[in-house]
Amino acid sequence: MITIEGVTKIYSKNSVALRDISLHIKAGEFVSVIGQSGSGKTTFTKLLIAEETPTKGRIQIGDWDITNIKNSEIPFLRRQIGMIFQDYKLLPQKTVYENVSFALEVAGEKSHRIAQVVPQLLEIVGLSDRHNRYPMQLSGGEQQRVAIARSLAHRPKIIVADEPTGNLDTINAEEIIQILKKINEFGTTILLLTHNREVVNALRRRVITLHDGHLTLDQESGKYIL
Amino acid sequence: MTFIWRIIKFALQDIWRNFGLSFMTVLILVLMLLSVNTLWSVKVITKEAVGLIKDQVNVSIYFSADAGEKNVSEINKYVSAFPEVVNVKLQTADEVLDSFKQRHSQSKDILGALAELNKNPFGPTMIIKTREPGDYKKIIKALSVPEYQNLIEAKSFDEHESAIEKIQNITSRTENVVAGLVLLFACISFLIVFNTVRSAIHTQKVEIGIKRLVGASNWFIRGPYLVESFIFSVLSLVVSILVLYVAMSFVDPYLAVIFPSSFSLTNYYNSNILYVFGVQFISVLALTILSSGLAMRRQLRV
Repeated sequence: MITIEGVTKIYSKNSVALRDISLHIKAGEFVSVIGQSGSGKTTFTKLLIAEETPTKGRIQIGDWDITNIKNSEIPFLRRQIGMIFQDYKLLPQKTVYENVSFALEVAGEKSHRIAQVVPQLLEIVGLSDRHNRYPMQLSGGEQQRVAIARSLAHRPKIIVADEPTGNLDTINAEEIIQILKKINEFGTTILLLTHNREVVNALRRRVITLHDGHLTLDQESGKYIL
Repeated sequence: MTFIWRIIKFALQDIWRNFGLSFMTVLILVLMLLSVNTLWSVKVITKEAVGLIKDQVNVSIYFSADAGEKNVSEINKYVSAFPEVVNVKLQTADEVLDSFKQRHSQSKDILGALAELNKNPFGPTMIIKTREPGDYKKIIKALSVPEYQNLIEAKSFDEHESAIEKIQNITSRTENVVAGLVLLFACISFLIVFNTVRSAIHTQKVEIGIKRLVGASNWFIRGPYLVESFIFSVLSLVVSILVLYVAMSFVDPYLAVIFPSSFSLTNYYNSNILYVFGVQFISVLALTILSSGLAMRRQLRV
């Protein structure tokens, strides 16, 4: 599903974010990527959605080599990867319904199909009754659930969740992880970037550890070890 | 088609949900258009006033009494052929005499002296009008040749020369000052509108980033701003036209006192409506599109 071969990302002489990273993630896996701040986790995410290009190495998603992806192809790549962020990244001027439907509208999805899919997605994340609210009228956990519904809009094969529980309390964080697990059960590959020890240990799934830009540990059913 | 409808829908949503910002942008555009129209009106009034003064300036050529109809007619044809000449009015010797008698109808001595002569002492008079006061010199020079020396008794230009030069100086200076003011105002307006639109887009910087992350193409992001620019341009133009026409209804009665002709600003704008407001609409649209394009350029980079 995701193949990364010898990827290095250098921003400047004194700022090397990733150093010679190689790994392969199979379809349907639930992988946690852990590491301290500055370990390269965010750069890793940015490379996957082509927000940055690698200085060296190759990145392949499915059969698509995105190493030197054209600017015009980036929107198509991003429609195939569901993204979830710590700060939710919802459009503040749009309602819950519109935030989810926007992802489909930009892809040119037909209106009747959007009217069918969006309520289903909101039901999956338990926000059917909140569809008319604006993000600022929701709690953190609810906002993150909207972000999850939006990330599912294109039925992506991969979901990249960058610190999705970072701004949430334990109960809400647990709920979000349960939703991600459920999505994974339906065959979607989940890439969870986190430094939440409890979450990683409870998952008992594959854990990739980054330290100072190096891939230091890759455990099949691992624990949070730094 | 769906793509276009969605862009229009997002633009209308943005305008409505950022009502304060939209209102301020339109207000700035309206103020800019009103400033431009004020200067435009000043330019039109100045041009009309200068035209009125120029209209009152002409040159008279006084022929000698024995100039002969054939010679006068020949000179008339010669002068009329100049591209600078707008019209030539010829008064026959009899008409000149009648006009003289009328002018001095109260002065018995003058009329008595005229009767003593027993013949018409006046020759025909030619009144020449040129496009610009400066053109008179050329006409006078053309007539100051030896062949016409005995036929032409006097030319009134010599008396008017300094007045004509003054008018020319004043008109060209006024035109330069007004043109300079228009340019200055255009530059100030450009900077104000550019910064207003730029700030409006800067406040949506985060939103633009999110739209990119969920896979929106650059055109899907840029599109609503272009539609918004169009809507803002139309709205500001409509509002400024309304304000302008109301203002003109107050100004026109005063102009009617100054200008004896049927000149009024309302008439001017009515007869040039497509040109004046077309130019303004295109300029405002280009300005808002350029401003939003430049403001978004950085944010649309990957």
